[in-house]
Amino acid sequence: MLSAAIFIPIVASVVLALLPRRGASGPAGERRLQLIATAIAAIPLLLIAVAWLRFGSTGRFEQVEALDWIPTLGIGYRVGVDGLSLPLAAMTALVFVVSIAFPVDLKGRPIAYFALMLFLEGVSIGLFLALDLFLFFVFWDVSLVAMYFLIGAWGHGDAQRSALKFFLYTFAGSLPLLLAILGLYLVTEPRTFDMAQIIRQQPLAGGGLYAVLVFAGFFIGFAIKTPLVPFHTWLPPAHVDAPGPASAILAGVLLKMGTYGFVRILMAMMPDTWAQFALPIGILAVISIVYGALVALAQTNLKRLIAYTSVNHMGYVILGLAVAGTAITGQEAARAIALTGATVEMVAHGLITGGLFLTSGAMLARGGTYEMDQYGGLLTRARSLTGITAVLAFASLGLPGLAGFVAEVQVFVGTLAIYPGLAAIALFGIIITAALFLRMLQKLFLGALPERWKRFPDLSRVEAAALGVLVFFVILIGVAPAWLLNVVDSFAGPFVGRP
Amino acid sequence: MSAIVLPLLPVLGAGLLIALRGRPRALGPVAVAVLAATVAVGVWAALTEPSAALRWSPAIELRLAVEGFGRVMVVLVPLIATPIVAYAAATETDGRPRLLALMVAFVGAMLVLVAAADFLTLLIAWELVGALSWALIGHGWRDPENGRSATRAFLTTRLGDLGLYVAAGATFAASGSFAFGAIGGVGSPAREMIAAGVLLAAAAKSAQVPFAPWLFAAMAGPTPVSALLHSATLVASGAYLLIRLEPSLATVSWFLPAVALVGIVTAISGGIVATLQTHAKRALAASTSAQYGLMFAAVGAGFPAAAGAQLVAHAAFKSLLFLGAGVAIHARGTADIGRLRLGRAVPRIALLSAVGALALAAVPPLGGAWSKEQVLAGAMDASGWFGAAVLVAGFLSALYAARYQVLAYGRAAEGPGTDDPNPIRRPGRVETGSMAALATLTLALSLLWMPGAGRIVEEAAGGRLPESAPWEIVATLAVLAAAFGVAWWLHHSGRLLRLGLRPAVQAAAGNWLGLPVAVSMLVERPVIVLSGWLRVIDERVIDAGVRRAAWVASVISGLFSRRVELSIDGLVHLVGAVTLSSAAGSRLADDAGVDAAVEATGRGIGLLGHQSRRLQTGQSHQYFVILGAGLAVMAAVLAIYR
Repeated sequence: MLSAAIFIPIVASVVLALLPRRGASGPAGERRLQLIATAIAAIPLLLIAVAWLRFGSTGRFEQVEALDWIPTLGIGYRVGVDGLSLPLAAMTALVFVVSIAFPVDLKGRPIAYFALMLFLEGVSIGLFLALDLFLFFVFWDVSLVAMYFLIGAWGHGDAQRSALKFFLYTFAGSLPLLLAILGLYLVTEPRTFDMAQIIRQQPLAGGGLYAVLVFAGFFIGFAIKTPLVPFHTWLPPAHVDAPGPASAILAGVLLKMGTYGFVRILMAMMPDTWAQFALPIGILAVISIVYGALVALAQTNLKRLIAYTSVNHMGYVILGLAVAGTAITGQEAARAIALTGATVEMVAHGLITGGLFLTSGAMLARGGTYEMDQYGGLLTRARSLTGITAVLAFASLGLPGLAGFVAEVQVFVGTLAIYPGLAAIALFGIIITAALFLRMLQKLFLGALPERWKRFPDLSRVEAAALGVLVFFVILIGVAPAWLLNVVDSFAGPFVGRP
Repeated sequence: MSAIVLPLLPVLGAGLLIALRGRPRALGPVAVAVLAATVAVGVWAALTEPSAALRWSPAIELRLAVEGFGRVMVVLVPLIATPIVAYAAATETDGRPRLLALMVAFVGAMLVLVAAADFLTLLIAWELVGALSWALIGHGWRDPENGRSATRAFLTTRLGDLGLYVAAGATFAASGSFAFGAIGGVGSPAREMIAAGVLLAAAAKSAQVPFAPWLFAAMAGPTPVSALLHSATLVASGAYLLIRLEPSLATVSWFLPAVALVGIVTAISGGIVATLQTHAKRALAASTSAQYGLMFAAVGAGFPAAAGAQLVAHAAFKSLLFLGAGVAIHARGTADIGRLRLGRAVPRIALLSAVGALALAAVPPLGGAWSKEQVLAGAMDASGWFGAAVLVAGFLSALYAARYQVLAYGRAAEGPGTDDPNPIRRPGRVETGSMAALATLTLALSLLWMPGAGRIVEEAAGGRLPESAPWEIVATLAVLAAAFGVAWWLHHSGRLLRLGLRPAVQAAAGNWLGLPVAVSMLVERPVIVLSGWLRVIDERVIDAGVRRAAWVASVISGLFSRRVELSIDGLVHLVGAVTLSSAAGSRLADDAGVDAAVEATGRGIGLLGHQSRRLQTGQSHQYFVILGAGLAVMAAVLAIYR
């Protein structure tokens, strides 16, 4: 079942790549192909929805599927879900369906585009479901390659350079990650890459220099991907030059691979070392929050602005994780709420920022630029675009009733209990993000409509429907999140040892 | 029925108004009907005290409960909103469906706020009310200045919202729950954090010093919006919260003195600003800050019931005054108070406005006089100096109330307003009717002077009222007479508008005594400048630093295992090669700089790999070579298919 969610899109991408090109030529052919690709992309979403219904909230890995792969090295094909990976896999599948359905300039290579997108979908879902470190790393690295081609071949502006920068930076991050995986593997007894076993074994429970070095390898690998300040500079150029849907996936899904790794591997397998460094990690997170927000405030380019707010939001995630990973007893409720908040932030950010990047793609397709000063008064012409962007912007600045608030308030509440000082500083992040998003709305949609946009078209029906799906979930999570929070809590509660 | 009906009715009503946007005639009646029904539900809720709960997670439950002073608010909010929305439906033609829907939805959010029984529910409603007011203030969005004003108002109040985040977090950390009921069991220092957070949130929302200037920005909204925000809703939420939580937080030693200080400073400075202002709506806005300052003073003195009475009285007369200002501004096409003078043109409106002005000035037997009397008695109870300060604030409010009424609706021939050649736009029946309804409510509050009314107020607001000494009433009347005397003297010496000041001085001082300028210079500009600097640093310094950090990281990891490093090394070269070949194949690729960068980076990592070839660990390298090869094949396949 879970394996099908991973391999159906991968196999479909291979089949698609072998198709003759004739069927996909011309606008009609491209539309037909997009429809087929969207339908295929929806299959994993359905399968994960079924897995959600069957999910038992046991606090352990469920629905595990395992096969021996390289048994002499303890490498296996193992996938399964818990309250952390299930929401992330579901969000991933949803963002992919929406992104694949979203109209984009295919540059005459529709088959390769949809094949890559489907391939990346399978790989991304696989990464979140993988229960084997080796398998995790395979998916991790392969996702980079797929994203590299998506940015390089379908991007605009200086796409080649940005794609390369993205690839080299994140690939440089996967080197220490690989070394850390091996470092961890070498101290397991018996030697294994099985995540569940390593979590049970706690091979580096004693701490020491070796543990710190392994920790550092993981940390740098995940921090680059997340990204945490100061490892974030690959992100803005990659976003600016990537096509809208690829940006949505990069921000919505690929960044979560970093934050997911922090929880699944670092916190679960090396909790003592995490607790030892919780305060410095928390400080780094607060720097990301405030710094990301301030630099975003200074941007004039719509996509760079959204990219820097991602740095800010990932700061909230890491702050929640830092708090959750402190070994302070007696504060389990606060740590659990921080971990739940951080996990929900991963999901919420995927939906919200994914949506914002899709709307900015729609802006580019209509206006040809991301420079916000070039627009203005678009509310007159584009009501759905304005409405959807406004809801997503308010969600991103953490307005209650929308998904971002549910995440951020839990992170803040948890942090106030453990590190009140850090929470007080981090809170200013939500003022700055409010300022920059309101300014963005003002510049794009309010004021007088410039003469050149008198014929600015509103969202097409397909675009509005795709974004509408994201907005629906952003509101649903914002108003009645019990279905999500209960699943996440089934992971977060036991994780921090809440009685 | 559960308490959820209370906010749900207006929210569904807002949806209905959006659905009816094609039928402009139906909008007004539907909006008024929805709010009238909400008043009925509010009365029912005040009598039956319903509650409702929504569980979010095992740790979080949101709860609504109509109790305490909330019972008064659930009636007051829709009751005041109904005539205001009727007025808006009759006067605002631009984007009417959106405006009415937002106003009705705003009432829904406000009802959640006054029924919230825990900090998280309160925070949700608190921020929603703020966001909706952003949309209301920026209603005339084609003028970019309105959008900027809306943003400034939202950011200021959101700064206060941070206080509620702190209060919610501190309550949860100490008790594992967000409920107001849990505050009682919270010890120090968590209780002090809660108190500080509540004070910050309340002061920002109720436009107290130093946050007060956001109310001037809020004047960018249409007049009915100002009437709604200033009377029983947005601005009232701060004072409401203090009334509601005073019993739980009074034990924090500095809390009540701090509330009292903020309140009295705002009451006096706001009074001065209102007296100086020449913009009709801004004069009323400064008076709003000052009047809420008196409520803060009453809470600070330990008499939340007196503050509650003042809140209700103020809601009635301030909404009346704002609608009157709207009629005047509409009639003359300017908000310059020196150019209004509409007494002869619209005598009935002038009379209705006078009711509001007399209540603002606290002339007995109006309700506003009774509540101000209670505030004074409460302050006297705390200390004589405090009482004297409240008397000064009372003098100022009588002075600016008289000045506003005479300038806006007076008949005398002072100033240029009288010979204005433009024809006067007269108000219609709905405008007059809305004002008459609010004037009736203002007059009805005179019943507060009846014996036994105090007991009802104590029961409704919780807590007791202060003992009022007879000489206090005499003092109040003397102050009132003095204020009217000064106003009369200014009027007859022709200085009522300019107060004998130079226009530049008056304008500078009238702009909240320079507070907005100070905030702009000390907060806004530094943040903008800092963010600009950080942007430059980010692009020029950190971007370079990352490369160095990555090198350091690979040196460290090189020490771990050079075999692995070797195969990775090969992988880097492979990917580099694939990149180069695909780039060469692509029509886009001619960027020698980028290609050179790949090679340079590849070489750099390769060198590191070679240097650290001494350590030998692991035996898995062949699998990584296979992995690398697999990657390369896959990349090649995809490159071909581009």
